[in-house]
Amino acid sequence: MKTQHWLSLLLSVFITMSVNAAPTGRIFITNERGNSVSVINGSTLEVEATIEIGERPRGIGLSPDGSELYVAVSEENKIKVVDPVSLKIIREFEAGSDPETFAVHPNGNIYISNEDEAKASVIDPKTGNLITEIKVGLEPEGVAISPDGKRVIVTSESTNMLHVIKAPENVIENNILVGSRPRAATFTQKGDIAYATAEISGEVIKVDMNSGKIIKTGSTGDSESKPKDVVLSKDEKVVYVAGGRANKVIVMDADTLEIIKGIPVGKRVWGLAISKDGKHVFSTDGVSNTVSVIDTGKNEVIKTIEVGEFPWGVVIND
Amino acid sequence: MLKKTINTILYSLIAILSLSEVVFAEIIEVNFAYVGEVEHPALLGAKQGLEESNLQGQFLNQKYNLDVVSANDISSHAFSKYIAILTAVDTDTFKTLTTKLPDTPIFNLSLNDDDLRTACIKNALHIIPSTSMTADALAQWNQKSPDSKASAQAWHPDFVKFAARDLNKRFMKNQEMAMDDYSWAGWAAVKMTSDTVARTQITDPAKMLNYLKTELAFDGQKGDTMNFRETGQLRQLILLVEDNNIVAEAPVRGIAKPPTLDSLGTLHCEK
Repeated sequence: MKTQHWLSLLLSVFITMSVNAAPTGRIFITNERGNSVSVINGSTLEVEATIEIGERPRGIGLSPDGSELYVAVSEENKIKVVDPVSLKIIREFEAGSDPETFAVHPNGNIYISNEDEAKASVIDPKTGNLITEIKVGLEPEGVAISPDGKRVIVTSESTNMLHVIKAPENVIENNILVGSRPRAATFTQKGDIAYATAEISGEVIKVDMNSGKIIKTGSTGDSESKPKDVVLSKDEKVVYVAGGRANKVIVMDADTLEIIKGIPVGKRVWGLAISKDGKHVFSTDGVSNTVSVIDTGKNEVIKTIEVGEFPWGVVIND
Repeated sequence: MLKKTINTILYSLIAILSLSEVVFAEIIEVNFAYVGEVEHPALLGAKQGLEESNLQGQFLNQKYNLDVVSANDISSHAFSKYIAILTAVDTDTFKTLTTKLPDTPIFNLSLNDDDLRTACIKNALHIIPSTSMTADALAQWNQKSPDSKASAQAWHPDFVKFAARDLNKRFMKNQEMAMDDYSWAGWAAVKMTSDTVARTQITDPAKMLNYLKTELAFDGQKGDTMNFRETGQLRQLILLVEDNNIVAEAPVRGIAKPPTLDSLGTLHCEK
């Protein structure tokens, strides 16, 4: 009886462990022209493997428990699912025409922008089934989901809007007109504020998500800076913006949206990700074929890592 | 007493709610006129621009319409309801229209005459590049590549940068034609006007003209934001095309002097 009790306890511990797999600490990079995913070891910050993934991989994300890696393979109109431990492709599913950017909802569903068709699709990655489609503006691009899962932002680049979608109802709550070519967005932990970038007008826009009103707009500087990705520091006091052809990551005060610093990185900086502990920001430098590792304490690059051709997206399994 | 107060509050609430509903339901209608041949690619471009404007308008309660007017009918047609006139006509007709409607933006989608620019007609907005712009673009390119037989264009159906690929794709899909200079110009004229309506709610043609000439920052899917010179010419990137392949973009990097977009064409009015 006693032995049986211990055995069942051990077994349940084992099952729990295998379900909630420990994060690998790896950093995954899509290489748009390399048709691959570079796998960076989180401790050594060296590339430890390269996964041949398919034609033109761009958007990349993890399931809420970190047990599955999703990669949008644009030219194949698919999302491929990779095991972050074994690095094997375990399945794939259709993701609409030209899938580019997506975000994963806390409930596990994928929200993806379909650039050609002025809509966003919601897909269940377990089955690959399309749950619903939401009509948005032209050239939908960036997708961001609030940490509580109640709101999704889809940016439409040619309609110049942030479309705010109520989730899980999947109905549009608000359409917020912003600067030219909005590309990416991110939420605060509470989800009450979002930051978005506008590429052509060279701006970062801070939005009150409850009222749908713009609180502040800040310029990212010179005309070369075409802002793309945006992440918030852990204390939410600083915004990191990928400066595109300005070849730097722009650090802005999250309150005033004034530029604090420009951190020189590689050429045409595109994607950004911040580690859970907030200590590092990783940038994909598209034209340099590198990933830059920024120490957020010093706001300096501490390492530059050679990856595949045209690195695009980045996600951290931490 | 208490009941009366509650009733008053309730009725006020209902009044406020119904009032806000009325405000919400108010649709801004914006009308364009196109003057020119029905077969001209500029009209297809304008139609594409209109579709995109209405796609945005459905989120903002704005509705855009386009009337097609023959160049033969301009003396009899009533133009007062239009926010802007899009034209693909001959030089004389263009001048007649700018004189007839002095406070309305008149978009030039087809004429490349330098004279029309240096004349600095107050309400003329030239979307299509002038002869001197394309000549300067070629001259810059020939400094780098003297043997090139390239030509200079405003647009090309194979252009992919700055999301030009997306515009080319949807134009081909909707209008069943490859986008050329004229159709890009028609698209751009409608889109910059509707962008302005969306941002400013301006529906008055004179105010629209003033905004377009002084405050515009338009994403024409050719890179940097676009605006107008005092000549009424739209500042823009020019493509250099050889054997139907895009070989370069002007201002040519390393050759053109900053501010680079102004290295192309005439900048000032003839005094």
